[in-house]
Amino acid sequence: MKFEPDDNQGTILDGLEQMIASLRIEPPKHPTTVAFSAELDAELGASGFLDIAREEEFTLLDAALVVERAARLPLTTEAASSALVGPLLEADAFQRPLALVRGSALAPARFLPQARALLVDADDALRLIAVDPARVEPVESLFAYPYGRLSSLDGLEVKTLDPALLPAVRRRWRLAIAVEAAGLMRAAIDTVVEHVTNRRQFGRPLGSFQAVQHRLATATMAMEATKWLAFRAAWSDDEGDCATAAAHAQDAIPTLTYDLHQFCGAMGLTLEFDLHLWSYRLKALLGEMGGSSAQAQHAAVHTWPRAA
Amino acid sequence: MEFGWNDEERDYRARVRGVLAKTLPANWDDIAVHGPGSRAQTEFSKDFCKLLAEEDMLIPHWPRAFGGQDGKPWDHFILGEEIWAAGEPRGPQYMNVNWIGPVMMRYATPAQQERYLPEIASGAVTWCQGFSEPSAGSDLASLQTRAEPVEGGYRVNGSKVWTSYAGLADHCFLLARTGPGKGGIAILLVPMTSPGIQVKEIPALIGEGDIHEVFFDDVFVPAENRLGEEGQAWEIISHALQNERIGIPRYAFSRRILDRAVAKLQADGRFDDPVIRDRAGRALARVEAARLMVYRVVDERDRGQPASAFANLARFAVVCADHAVSDFMLEFMPEGLLGDDPMQQAHHQRAIAAGIASGAAEIQLDLAARRHLNLPSEKRA
Repeated sequence: MKFEPDDNQGTILDGLEQMIASLRIEPPKHPTTVAFSAELDAELGASGFLDIAREEEFTLLDAALVVERAARLPLTTEAASSALVGPLLEADAFQRPLALVRGSALAPARFLPQARALLVDADDALRLIAVDPARVEPVESLFAYPYGRLSSLDGLEVKTLDPALLPAVRRRWRLAIAVEAAGLMRAAIDTVVEHVTNRRQFGRPLGSFQAVQHRLATATMAMEATKWLAFRAAWSDDEGDCATAAAHAQDAIPTLTYDLHQFCGAMGLTLEFDLHLWSYRLKALLGEMGGSSAQAQHAAVHTWPRAA
Repeated sequence: MEFGWNDEERDYRARVRGVLAKTLPANWDDIAVHGPGSRAQTEFSKDFCKLLAEEDMLIPHWPRAFGGQDGKPWDHFILGEEIWAAGEPRGPQYMNVNWIGPVMMRYATPAQQERYLPEIASGAVTWCQGFSEPSAGSDLASLQTRAEPVEGGYRVNGSKVWTSYAGLADHCFLLARTGPGKGGIAILLVPMTSPGIQVKEIPALIGEGDIHEVFFDDVFVPAENRLGEEGQAWEIISHALQNERIGIPRYAFSRRILDRAVAKLQADGRFDDPVIRDRAGRALARVEAARLMVYRVVDERDRGQPASAFANLARFAVVCADHAVSDFMLEFMPEGLLGDDPMQQAHHQRAIAAGIASGAAEIQLDLAARRHLNLPSEKRA
């Protein structure tokens, strides 16, 4: 068992850092709920970082490291679906960005305004839709992801995939939720730690109050636990591990986002302050795939299969 | 980064399980429900630890020079997981092998090492730790028990409280004041048979034999029983508590009890209830989170890194996991605490002590906030 990146992983992460540095990524200059970066998203896709789980010499865990790092950026990109779910599909079967939706193909989906493909988990069927951007209606929301919905499927290319793939798609989707949440939590905590270190009230930094310290330490514990559960799940690609990681992530989000926003007061309610760029991605992830209760039940059923 | 066990580690775990299967008697669960400080477990631990020692599984992590095998940190932890999952049959002796012995290797004189280490290594002895006092719990540095220099040693006066295992202990690892402040504390290794020591058990929620008051009334302690220098105690116990904080893989027992609870719910036809499944899954997530957080600390140790503040976060995760499992069972299987399941009660009793023993869990949060997040302290502000 090793918790430090190995040489291969170190090389990947260094390369990713260089790419990020070269793009000079900064939080949006104008107040906005959604800070999607088409440039960063395209660069990530073109660089091959999101395809490494398809490569012989790399692993799903390597891809998870990339997704966790990308999630920490203030600008949103569609990394998780492409890097963790996409490799289940034939590489030439679709173009990214890849949006995921459950139930109706016409339901609002993250990244649909930018997506070239939509993977639909229709309970007992799996469909891959080539997305025509002209057919996507943007959905306005507070969430810091771009959302959209298809007006109809008329005239769109809809492939029906082997439904035997469904469990794997759901497993990787759970993994994607956990890995991305871990990165978002870390960046959100970093932002708030900096704020409470500098912001003074009652003649002292907010972060010197124990009421603040304990809750930030607890948030950090939740983030670290989410991260290591997610990385282990990426390493094992196990049904129970992936569901456990997602359950932990979604279970932790309400308290964590509440605490982080409380410590930023009214500033944290404004779009001028960056916290929402992460916290409102976390809140969007809270309900994906049925939320923490669905993941916890799935983890339980898988971990304790009924004795014959 | 990878999360698997290598062949050696798997073999070692299999060996530990083999030894436990061979050495634990059929009625072990009946003994285990009495709690680690009970007379039943203390006496059992002396027979059991002797057998473990014969199998080279009591102190494998100790250096060869002291009778160990220079075991790897991971092996030590695998051993701890398996033993703790079995309900910790080492009883009070886990403390001897995990930190009292290692502290002596580092700070004791050769004569002291010769006196104390062999009996720890053979599993023949019980220690208690004389730390907390009525006015010095979490704020340990405010302790008031005095060690007054007299000819040939010290005269100790004062009292300790909430002391585990004191009723049956052979020795006390005692903190006593020789001067003011953190720099005025000494460690004395005190025979519990010394004249002037009186032990009184305090009835407690966590089982018999676990909490005591210990009174020191003009107790003479020879100078050669002082560990380290006068004033060095704080440095020594800081080192010791680093081992203590993460030395107990409590989550392994919690996972075993959770597995056991689910098996019972399945047998009773109750595990189809989505609410129960949901809550079991959440408890599982807490336990596995604690496991990985602790593994990360072991990995740090395995790489020879000094203990970081991550250990404080890990300890808190372990406390949360214990409570998550205990609360799950309290909600859905309350009959366990109404006489149906003594083992569930034993787990509950360990869980409620998890965030208290060896320092309140909130102290861990203080340390994590300051050392891991670098938040400003009140004093600096």
